[in-house]
Amino acid sequence: MEIELVEIRDFLALQHPFDLLPAELLNQLPAKLSVRYIRRGQCFPPEDSKGQNLYIIRTGAIELRDAQNDLLGKLAEGDIYSSECQLIEVNEASCHMTLEDSLLYQLPCNELKNLCENSEDFNHHFEADLTRRLQKAAKYGNHKVDVGIASMTIEIGELIKKAPVTLECPASIQQAAVMMSEHNVSSILLTENGLLKGILTDRDLRRRCVAEALDVSTLVGVIMTKDPITMRSNELVLHALMTMTRKKINHLPVVDNDKIVGMLTATDLTRHSSANPAFMTSQIRKSKSLKEMQKILQRLPELQLLLANSNISARHIGETISCITDVLTIRLIELVQADIGPEPVPFVWVSGGSQARHEQSSHSDQDNALIIDDSVTAEQMSYFHELAKQVCTGLDACGFIFCPGDAMAMNEKWCQPLSAWELYFKNWVQKPEPMALMLSSIFFDLRAVHGDFSLHKKLQQKILRLTFKNSLFIAHMVSNALKHIPPVGFFRTFVLIHDGENDNTFDIKHRGIVPITDIARVLALSEGISRINTTERLKALCRTRSMSKGMSESLQDALEFIANLRIKHQAEQIRKNVPADNYLPPDKLSSLERKHLKDAFEIIKDAQDYLRSRYKLA
Amino acid sequence: MFNYFSSSDQIRKKLLKKARHEVMRKYYSVPFPNPKLPWDMSEVVSLDFETTGLDSTTDQILSYGKVNIRHGLIRLGSARHQLVQTAGFIPESSAVIHHITDDQAREGIPLQQALPEILRLLAGKVMLVHFNRIEQGFLNSACQKFYGSPFLIPMIDTLTLAQRVLSHRNHSVEPNRLRLFNLRNDFNLPNYKAHNALYDALTTAELFLVLEAEISPNKPTVLKNLIL
Repeated sequence: MEIELVEIRDFLALQHPFDLLPAELLNQLPAKLSVRYIRRGQCFPPEDSKGQNLYIIRTGAIELRDAQNDLLGKLAEGDIYSSECQLIEVNEASCHMTLEDSLLYQLPCNELKNLCENSEDFNHHFEADLTRRLQKAAKYGNHKVDVGIASMTIEIGELIKKAPVTLECPASIQQAAVMMSEHNVSSILLTENGLLKGILTDRDLRRRCVAEALDVSTLVGVIMTKDPITMRSNELVLHALMTMTRKKINHLPVVDNDKIVGMLTATDLTRHSSANPAFMTSQIRKSKSLKEMQKILQRLPELQLLLANSNISARHIGETISCITDVLTIRLIELVQADIGPEPVPFVWVSGGSQARHEQSSHSDQDNALIIDDSVTAEQMSYFHELAKQVCTGLDACGFIFCPGDAMAMNEKWCQPLSAWELYFKNWVQKPEPMALMLSSIFFDLRAVHGDFSLHKKLQQKILRLTFKNSLFIAHMVSNALKHIPPVGFFRTFVLIHDGENDNTFDIKHRGIVPITDIARVLALSEGISRINTTERLKALCRTRSMSKGMSESLQDALEFIANLRIKHQAEQIRKNVPADNYLPPDKLSSLERKHLKDAFEIIKDAQDYLRSRYKLA
Repeated sequence: MFNYFSSSDQIRKKLLKKARHEVMRKYYSVPFPNPKLPWDMSEVVSLDFETTGLDSTTDQILSYGKVNIRHGLIRLGSARHQLVQTAGFIPESSAVIHHITDDQAREGIPLQQALPEILRLLAGKVMLVHFNRIEQGFLNSACQKFYGSPFLIPMIDTLTLAQRVLSHRNHSVEPNRLRLFNLRNDFNLPNYKAHNALYDALTTAELFLVLEAEISPNKPTVLKNLIL
């Protein structure tokens, strides 16, 4: 039959998941449909449907409720109701209601089955497992990566093309040199029983052997650098660049779980460094004044835009911006210290909140603190107050505005010796008051940025000892984590909140990202996991009893999807030269995005329900 | 006009006896739907003609489109659209409305071939139209001309139903408001960009479902409440 109902086909072609159907199947689809009409206030699906049809809303609106009569969502033009065709039991009211006079397209479930069997893409949509759908969504738009801009935010593994050149010890310096020449490389990795023991570079040969007139038959172990700094292949190239710059080294062995994967050299990076993040970090490191830094950091929103345009995932953009903030913080500390002198006692500058979690965006405010060695005297404290004041002011001048909640090192309360910090946390954990819980999203996510990292490590171990399996504290944190509830779904240009409330903007941060971050934090604390990044926390959690593998993966996918939407939204605002925010207008979402977002909300809601029942909260 | 309320099927039987031509005998041999039953127990054919003008004695059928309503549902699988050959040229005045050109019309089938098809599609069913005089008038003229019989069918007219519904709502109904295009907007029905006999038949069918639900909200009304 020729396609006589072209306009109905065209309507279907705009609706997800029918947009996934190949043209041939789509052309045949209108003929399989029936049109029906249900007046406002009637039962849906209609009785005669007998549980055997899928419905596509052509005009009108339908309200869906669950068996407990709680609102599940609303359907409007283009939305699809497929519960009758799904094999799994759904907790739905037996009779939903049409809110408006509605014209519906009805497709028998067996026809749907045919479509699913003949189109893999289409089938994916109807798989009961939300996870797989969302994983796919997270991958959408990720296939095209602009090499120039993306280079610093790709994972190290992608730059490793050649097998590592290794030499098993014991071996002589000459053997090592011969092998390096044969492979035409500037460095070699030395192993014992296959495990990395050291690295030998051209520079080592020059300085430690030739210059010292050392016998070339000497064991290479004498002149190699033992236990070199290594990177994992899933870390960002940007991290490698920073490590090289900071430690003044040009070679980084890449090792995954004791297995030597390859060698990353400064040359590898230069070859890939047309990227702006690298340029920016090196510019910051070279800068001599706050003014210079301000000028460099002005380009941060532009960088976020470039990264977003290159389809780099939100996670990697967050990491990139956090890294740049780290470099800026370090440089600010160095400059201030050049002025006021070195620290009288050891200290560590720690970042909190999104910077600590590597989830920052270009318009984040600053959250930070100072942990000082307990040997500090009252007089010496004024040094640290001055340092904190200048660094925080510098960060503010560079665009990371003062924290509205005053959670900054320049607040004397958060510029304290280690023992004071330990006392703070002891109080917070033992008496979880609302105020403490409010601060939890900042101070329970701390990461050392500059100074004596061991101070931070001591504090962190103390915190985890306090929180590990501390059910009273965890229960408080959980109830706090449940405060931010995801929306039920979308209805035309509105976001549906709880029971029927509408909102025409949507705070994607507090309704999408924060709930996941909160869940990951509380469970990580309860399991004694020291990771800070939300994705890493979720990954670590699936190896514990607190979270199933499925839930962990679903939440990771949901976070990735929501965070990507947020980045896209902010990129659009930066492009239009308006300040970036977290308020997403629902009518700007595509039908595909709406559907995936709704899936993501469901995953969050499931996880919150799980927490609620696990900790027996009403 | 005939009075279907009591005797439309009896008239059918008389016409069957009088019919000379095989096509008409076939058509009238199928009993008309029972008007005392709920309407959705009968099959309804929404039919629309594009014509060169409004006068069924001088103007010609250019195309027809139809879609069936079975058990209360519009079955899109039953949709048909057919161009019909015309004798002579298509007047410009009508071509600007239906966008059917002489070249396209030549690709159609002759009316002598289309007519038995249409009668076969309609036999034993209810014809649904918007503004009954066109389809009924042209079919009647054609049947008279080719087969020497009048054309009779139980008919639902959405224009008449719309008039009923709107005046019931206490509207003063301007004639223009009853045009298919305007009614479609009034009742929030899909806006098809194309203007051809099939989309008009489909819109008429959709409009009918809306009007019927308005007239009888709780259960399908009996057919005699709807037919002319």
